[in-house]
Amino acid sequence: MIHVEDLTVRYPGRKEPALSRVNLTLRDDETVLLLGPSGCGKSTLALALSGLIPNSLDVQFSGRVLIDGVDTREADIATLSRRVGVVFQDPDAQFVMLDVESEMAFALENLRMPPAEIDRRIDDALSAANMTDRRYDKVWQLSGGQKQRVALAALLAMHPQVIVFDEPTANLDPAGARDVFAQIAALKRAGQHTLVIIEHRLDAIMHLVDRVVVMGEQGRIVADGAPQHVFDDCFGELRRLGVWMPQVSALAHRLGARPAPITLDEAHESWRARVSQFAFEQTTRAPTPGKTPGRAPGKTPGKAPGKAPGKICSTQESPAVHVHQLTYRYPSRVALERVDLSVPRHDFLAIVGANGAGKTTLAGCMAGVLTPPVGTVFINGADVATLSPQALARQVGFVFQNPEHQFVTDTVADELRFSLRRSDLPRAEIERRVEAMLARFRLDRYAGVNPFTLSHGEKRRLSVATMLMRDQEILILDEPTFGQDQHTAGELMAMLRALHAEGRTIVIITHDMALAAEHACHVAVMGEGRMLDCGPTRDVFARADTLAQARLDLPPLARLAQRLGFNALTVEDFYAVTQGAALNMAQGVS
Amino acid sequence: MNATVTVPEKSGLAGLNPLSKIAAVLPAMLFVALTTDVWSPLAIAGLALVVLMGVGRISPMRLARALGPVALVVLGFLLLYPLVVRRELVAGTPVFLDLGWAVIHEAALELGLTAGLRIFAFVALTMIFNLTTDAHDFARALVQQARVPYRVGYAAMAALRFAPLLRHELSVIRAAHRLRGLGEAGSLRDRLDMLWRTAVPLLASAIRRAERAALAMDGRAFGAYPTRTHLRRMTFTGRDVAFVAGFWLLTALLVIALAQLGLLGPLAFVQRV
Repeated sequence: MIHVEDLTVRYPGRKEPALSRVNLTLRDDETVLLLGPSGCGKSTLALALSGLIPNSLDVQFSGRVLIDGVDTREADIATLSRRVGVVFQDPDAQFVMLDVESEMAFALENLRMPPAEIDRRIDDALSAANMTDRRYDKVWQLSGGQKQRVALAALLAMHPQVIVFDEPTANLDPAGARDVFAQIAALKRAGQHTLVIIEHRLDAIMHLVDRVVVMGEQGRIVADGAPQHVFDDCFGELRRLGVWMPQVSALAHRLGARPAPITLDEAHESWRARVSQFAFEQTTRAPTPGKTPGRAPGKTPGKAPGKAPGKICSTQESPAVHVHQLTYRYPSRVALERVDLSVPRHDFLAIVGANGAGKTTLAGCMAGVLTPPVGTVFINGADVATLSPQALARQVGFVFQNPEHQFVTDTVADELRFSLRRSDLPRAEIERRVEAMLARFRLDRYAGVNPFTLSHGEKRRLSVATMLMRDQEILILDEPTFGQDQHTAGELMAMLRALHAEGRTIVIITHDMALAAEHACHVAVMGEGRMLDCGPTRDVFARADTLAQARLDLPPLARLAQRLGFNALTVEDFYAVTQGAALNMAQGVS
Repeated sequence: MNATVTVPEKSGLAGLNPLSKIAAVLPAMLFVALTTDVWSPLAIAGLALVVLMGVGRISPMRLARALGPVALVVLGFLLLYPLVVRRELVAGTPVFLDLGWAVIHEAALELGLTAGLRIFAFVALTMIFNLTTDAHDFARALVQQARVPYRVGYAAMAALRFAPLLRHELSVIRAAHRLRGLGEAGSLRDRLDMLWRTAVPLLASAIRRAERAALAMDGRAFGAYPTRTHLRRMTFTGRDVAFVAGFWLLTALLVIALAQLGLLGPLAFVQRV
């Protein structure tokens, strides 16, 4: 049992506390999902639950945290580490040693266990994680998912009662996330641990969760209870806060279904009977391939739903980006092998694929981050290999995954001015553009602020803005929603859609299949350096074997639709389909 | 299923205690540092190469990759030394080549070659340790045998992991800055500015990483007690004794042989150049 009483935590140098008078009790063996917008103090709470705050971090701390009656301030780290373990977000940052066995032994050696006991515990933990044959592997040989499994196994070898997962899948691709979720599910089945999970891919774990705690600013508890209660009764509040919610809940809400199903299984169960008749009709009518995914009316000005651009893989009329038989080698490996891709003007393309599939290398070749071989990559008909960097930068903007990497000046306004420093525009015109861009990306109040002090979402907006200063026609973004909450991610995607509606060509790199399903007109699927498939979103998502080959998953709602026997990728698809069929999903099955 | 995995066997030099490898090469290193002739470093480098290939089973390809850059340094010394050497040191010796604008004496070439070969022999000796030692084994040996406090030994281990991660991040930051046009003009001010702009995000990220790593280590009871146990013990075995003694003996024999053949020059800490 963990008691959090009046917990207030303030980091040095900050005016506002990260957590302010938080009260919470976690019962033994329950699985708790911790939600909240970014910056609400979730991670701080996770560190406080494990005693790392205040024992390892220098913070102002008041109130107390009791673990089975032991005050964390009075316990030593040996005691605490045997009770609570934390799996962190970045698999690379939490490893100390270079091979699996040494990593597993690290904590047990620190606890002064005899070698025979250490050996036995490593054996048990690795076999529970299904990693026995990896015992002598180097850490760098493991995939992201395997690293997280080793991190978890290393904690389990200490036999802690409580395990806190702080965004364990944020850095992983879908296959890696699946790996981690399977381990969490196994832990839940064993039923011997209290699990605290901070996560945003919720649909994959909702069936494991007993209780949801939603935090607002400074850790204020906004909602606390069974998932059904939280996602149903507090839906509006959660949406206002901008926390991630299960897509099934969002769908149920849109369809007005009550009581709202939370998990895919519940949704399937409660809608199956009603849909079966309709699904039969849809399959006999046959779906229309090539159609753009349905969108909320009025959300994309200037683009009527269903009006799809031409087929992507054909090379009719000069495309914005044309990639022809591109092979790209790093000193140690071949990253791309004979890749073909044609991105029509005004397209919204998502390049999807597992980690290491070559997505970022391909995008890098398009934007001139890397230099492709002559005659392989063309931007508006010009060869990237022979184009001057300035000429390329006028046409293509590239936003790196970490916006901080692109900042080169000391103020937000200077960042924007810097993009035009080599242009021959008159000073007044430059200032006019800076003003306009600041306003457009709602950064005007930060004009004189250092870019590094902005919030994550603001940094991302600024990095997009710097890449539009020369009125670039093509914008390429690497994992644009990485590390953001639903609110800021949604805001950014809305901006990208507005830019798309203006006639720009948008290319995003992502392994978030729900994001691709919702926003992209076309999808290019990459796997192990090859282009496995590309075409209109709906067509690509219908080819399950290619997605499996690329180690990708259908987004949760697409899977639900599949189980129900019809085609839909997004909430709005579902809505359109059920409206069209005059299906009433509003009452649940009792 | 557990029976299918066995501890990978470490053979040759990799199976030795890292500390005995250091002990073995130390006298040879000292000797190389003192030599002033061409033959001594050449003989020691030969010994190191024979041990690396014979006992260490390092392939000639891998050796060439590791030592290739150093061989270039030797060549560099050979070419540059005669041009910068102090005139009176070589003035009495025969002229090897008269370029008109510079006169190259034989002694100058010899001095250059000696300086280059000393570096080469030195690096070849360190390879006996470098190419065959697991970082963990070294940390373990430092803590278990050399009595280095484990907090120091293992913290250094953890820091070692950062190097490749930061190097990767540095290359990404450089690419991002290039894309924005930083440093494209190439003026000195631009270059300095670029250096500073690269340092800021790299430092920020290094601090964040270090903080996270420290939390992960504390969360696993690092430093909870003044000592810790060890799953794998490093030991000094008969093989270690044999290796150290054998290497010392060979080094001594080489020195004696050089002296007997009259190839050994005077030994000195500092060479006058």
